[in-house]
Amino acid sequence: MTSYIAGSPTEGHLLIIGAGLAGYHAARGARENGHTGPITILGDESLPAYDRPALSKAFLSGTVTVQDLALDDPDHPLDVTWIGGSSAVELSASPLGVHTADGTFHMADTIIIVTGAQASRLPFSGTRNPDVYVIRNVDDAMALRGCVAEGKKVAVVGGGFLALEAASTWMDRGAEVTVVAGEANPGTARLGQPVGCAIRALHEQRGVRFAEPSRAQEVETDEDSQVLRLADGTRIEADIVICAIGATPSTAWLRGSALTLEPTTAAILCDDTGFTGVPGVWAAGDCAQWASQASGIRPIGHWQEAVEQAGIVAAALTGVPPAPFQEPYFWSEQYDVRIQAAGRLAQADQVQILEGTIEGGDLLVSYLKDGEEVGILGMNRLREIKRWRKLRQIKHRAALAA
Amino acid sequence: MQVSLRVCSLQDLEPGEGLRIESVTPPIAVFLTEEGTVHAVDDTCTHQDASLAAGWVEDCRVECPLHESTFSLLTGEVDQPPAKKKVRVHEVQIDGDDVYVELSQEAPNLPPGVTTA
Ligand code: FES
Repeated sequence: MTSYIAGSPTEGHLLIIGAGLAGYHAARGARENGHTGPITILGDESLPAYDRPALSKAFLSGTVTVQDLALDDPDHPLDVTWIGGSSAVELSASPLGVHTADGTFHMADTIIIVTGAQASRLPFSGTRNPDVYVIRNVDDAMALRGCVAEGKKVAVVGGGFLALEAASTWMDRGAEVTVVAGEANPGTARLGQPVGCAIRALHEQRGVRFAEPSRAQEVETDEDSQVLRLADGTRIEADIVICAIGATPSTAWLRGSALTLEPTTAAILCDDTGFTGVPGVWAAGDCAQWASQASGIRPIGHWQEAVEQAGIVAAALTGVPPAPFQEPYFWSEQYDVRIQAAGRLAQADQVQILEGTIEGGDLLVSYLKDGEEVGILGMNRLREIKRWRKLRQIKHRAALAA
Repeated sequence: MQVSLRVCSLQDLEPGEGLRIESVTPPIAVFLTEEGTVHAVDDTCTHQDASLAAGWVEDCRVECPLHESTFSLLTGEVDQPPAKKKVRVHEVQIDGDDVYVELSQEAPNLPPGVTTA
């Protein structure tokens, strides 16, 4: 029987840097596992943790309010102190703590760094500030929500789910949308040919235009127009440009600290419990790269991954057996179609349509490696995907022993 | 006034699966557990518009098919985010092969953007 030793004193001060999904779940997990000491969550935004995936969908369309977004339940709030508008500027290993921009030093017995990632942006040139937006936080989404959409020319840069969700929301809002992606059928490299085709069909059926595959280079503005310039020389006129070209870990404040950052991405390197190697300091979510992510076994930047990592850190800190990693899972909503995928899609050497058609937007697709199923993707196949995930669920060790 | 509605027959139910009943508004989900008990709750998750009938039933709870919140089939309580509010539980009576449901008189906790109209 393995015994677990708490990585942090139960009565100590747990300081969580970053008020996002991972921060919320780390705090929640620590409390559930019996952490009795104070917990402080510092966030650079003013809002406590909120449901980020809704920003590009229901929040952007106006269905969901800021109150709806909150992760914490106002009727049963977590016993934590939220400090908003407080950016960490320096980590001190001894004494352990964090300096914030307002000059405060927050002492701690344990620190979990969950600062997330920030959206990458395109360079721009010209005579005025361009109408270029990203979708990462509430302020970004608020700004986009405030834009008139009806009849506007919108260029969405990126071929990932965030970009495609933005395209679908702006089509629904009455804009003319052009998607600029590196692939003709966005998603093909990652999700396979049939899915890439189905995604393109889904958007074309609603009137989205796709530029010839190319990389967006720059946004140029003059007094009364704005142009998106692509690497192949194409120029796309756009009233609004939405950039969804990825994100980089928010770790600039940790340069020169005792932590080891990945040389290219600047993600905080951790073992598979989130431990950074610096006593008392842990990291999880989009700002971190755990050992199994470095080797490509686990995905980076997914909602599900952040929740699982937060739970594992909370377990490691409090000395309870951690829940085992589950099959990776991610989802998207575009128009009235919900796309869900689970498993290790990147390992597949074969993609097979099980049910549905490309044109129908109702595919159920299996991913195989050496003939064995390693992943699944469904379009409006909620029941099938949930079953696939649950049947592969790895149960808690304690539950298995019982 | 409380009325019992016949919503389906036992034969329509599969162990471990949910059945969405659209003849009532908002729709409800009827579940037959592996243990053989029958339960009815609101079908729409309180987080977003997802049908709980398509969810996963285990230990008398249903896990939403979209995200990770699970709801008790006995009390409707939710265990973890992203959903925050409970679903209503409707009383089930079995008469022979027929499944009757007495709809809860509470106001439903529908997700943003979903209305009963
Ligand atoms: S839709 Fe049910 S938990 Fe999100």
